[in-house]
Amino acid sequence: MRRWRRLFAPTVAGLVLLVGWEVGVRASGLPAFVLPAPSQVARTAVDVAPLLGGHVVTTLTEAGLGLLVGAVVGLLLAVLIAAFPWVQDTVYPLVTLTQTVPTVVLAPLLILWAGFGLLPKVVLVALTAFFPVLVAAVTAMAAVDAEHAEMVAGLGGTRRHQFWLVQLPASVPGALGGLRVAATYAIGAAVVAEYLAGQSGLGVLVQRSRKGYAVDQILVAVVLVAVLTGLLFLLVDGLARLATPWQRPSTPSRPGRTPA
Amino acid sequence: MTTSPSTEAVVAPGDVTPAPALEVVGLTVTFPAVGRRGTDVVALRDVDLRVAAGEFVAVVGPSGCGKSTLLRVLAGLTPAGATVDARAVTTPVDASGARATAWMPQRDGLLPWRRAWSNALVGARIAGVDRAVADARARALFDAFGLAGFERAWPHELSGGMRQRLALLRTCLPGRPVLLLDEPFGALDAITRRRMNGWLAGLDLAGHGRPDGAGRAVVLVTHDVDEALLLADRVVVLSDRPGRVVLDLRVPRGDPTAARQVLLEALDPQGGTSASGGA
Ligand SMILES: Nc1ncnc2c1ncn2[C@@H]1O[C@H](COP(=O)(O)OP(=O)(O)OP(=O)(O)O)[C@@H](O)[C@H]1O
Ligand SMILES: [Mg+2]
Repeated sequence: MRRWRRLFAPTVAGLVLLVGWEVGVRASGLPAFVLPAPSQVARTAVDVAPLLGGHVVTTLTEAGLGLLVGAVVGLLLAVLIAAFPWVQDTVYPLVTLTQTVPTVVLAPLLILWAGFGLLPKVVLVALTAFFPVLVAAVTAMAAVDAEHAEMVAGLGGTRRHQFWLVQLPASVPGALGGLRVAATYAIGAAVVAEYLAGQSGLGVLVQRSRKGYAVDQILVAVVLVAVLTGLLFLLVDGLARLATPWQRPSTPSRPGRTPA
Repeated sequence: MTTSPSTEAVVAPGDVTPAPALEVVGLTVTFPAVGRRGTDVVALRDVDLRVAAGEFVAVVGPSGCGKSTLLRVLAGLTPAGATVDARAVTTPVDASGARATAWMPQRDGLLPWRRAWSNALVGARIAGVDRAVADARARALFDAFGLAGFERAWPHELSGGMRQRLALLRTCLPGRPVLLLDEPFGALDAITRRRMNGWLAGLDLAGHGRPDGAGRAVVLVTHDVDEALLLADRVVVLSDRPGRVVLDLRVPRGDPTAARQVLLEALDPQGGTSASGGA
């Protein structure tokens, strides 16, 4: 019943919005280079479909690789921070400072240094992705359950034991939570980098479409970005669940109705 | 030393006590005051305790009298901020010179990301026990502890009693010469606890049947007099805070009724003799 409503309500709301858009565009007679009707966007999507495959593959590659690199770097840094207090004191503030610079500002520099190819895009995605992973993992490691740390110490455990037996595994769910957040940024970061310079990818598609006033094509790209981001999130979420089998299903037991 | 004459009286040189595996002399633990206007909390005052290898000692006392604190000091887990003052704290060390005690917390401390089996091996891994040896011991102990069939369960899939047994198994498995158990079954309901105690008594953790010196020193904290009498060779009674040793009683073989009466009086000097059950 609840499941059904959760699926049904947003679908209906979305449909109402689309119909309103279609009717509004037709009634007002807005030109297509300002706002095309959804039916036209759909037609364009079918027309350009053969071209889209290559762009989608490029963007997904950049986002996937960047996410992977970002996650690994973020987790490694978190481990170093947990293991050596001086790393925390020196590196953490600097790392936080880098996050105050928006990616759009960094992208031209990266392109200047690393060219038009895959590398600058992967670096840019990694730069956006590693931070949520790092922060979530560091927080989880710092908030280790005192009960567990004491148990290990009470059995004669050293700091090394604490790290391998308690701190590192305790940080996994947190780091995966950070990775979920990072997954929602990854496609967007890749598209921004492509938009500024590139030969292929959804950002390149948007840029070319803008030059030709093909608003319908831009909208096709927008929908694709949304769908890909959603899919990437679901994938990361699924992997995260697989990696933490000890976690109870997140839905708490609901007060059940006793059968009459 | 004025506060513990009974210690001197009961565990006198006349007894056949081998060199103690575990010893504290004149232990005083003070916690800093909570809040600005409070006074420092003296949890333990001038406590002496000696436990020989192969001896099972129960420590009883009212809630908040410092039982857990005493066990923590023995386990080397001094709470941050506390001042520990003692003339001597002697605990055994292993080959590498590390403290060779195994402490079991009041709550089970199971790691949620490890299945029952690998939770059981945590202590062995810390103690550096060979993996094959540890696996063999775990196989035997899972049967003895009634956990066979639950090797692959996650901790949250176990009942409260099973979790406590698993925590005890983890503590026993490394084969440390000193076991420090803080109310292992304190969180369980009365019926389950009674059953667990019967089972624990049959387990012979201290190893009474073994040749001299091969047994373990076991210290069990509890506030249940019957539990203490059932399991222990000796019962040490602590007073209300600040905890001092007010009685050190060797449990007689056979009928414990008289010993029970003595313990209850020591626990509750003003409350008369009508008290029943735990402290
Ligand atoms: N970390 C701490 N900080 C401050 N005071 C503490 C701390 N731990 C214990 N105390 C104080 O020391 C006293 C003894 O505590 P302890 O936990 O040893 O009691 P206990 O005998 O184990 O009680 P219970 O039977 O309820 O477990 C308590 O009254 C408490 O106020
Ligand atoms: Mg306690």
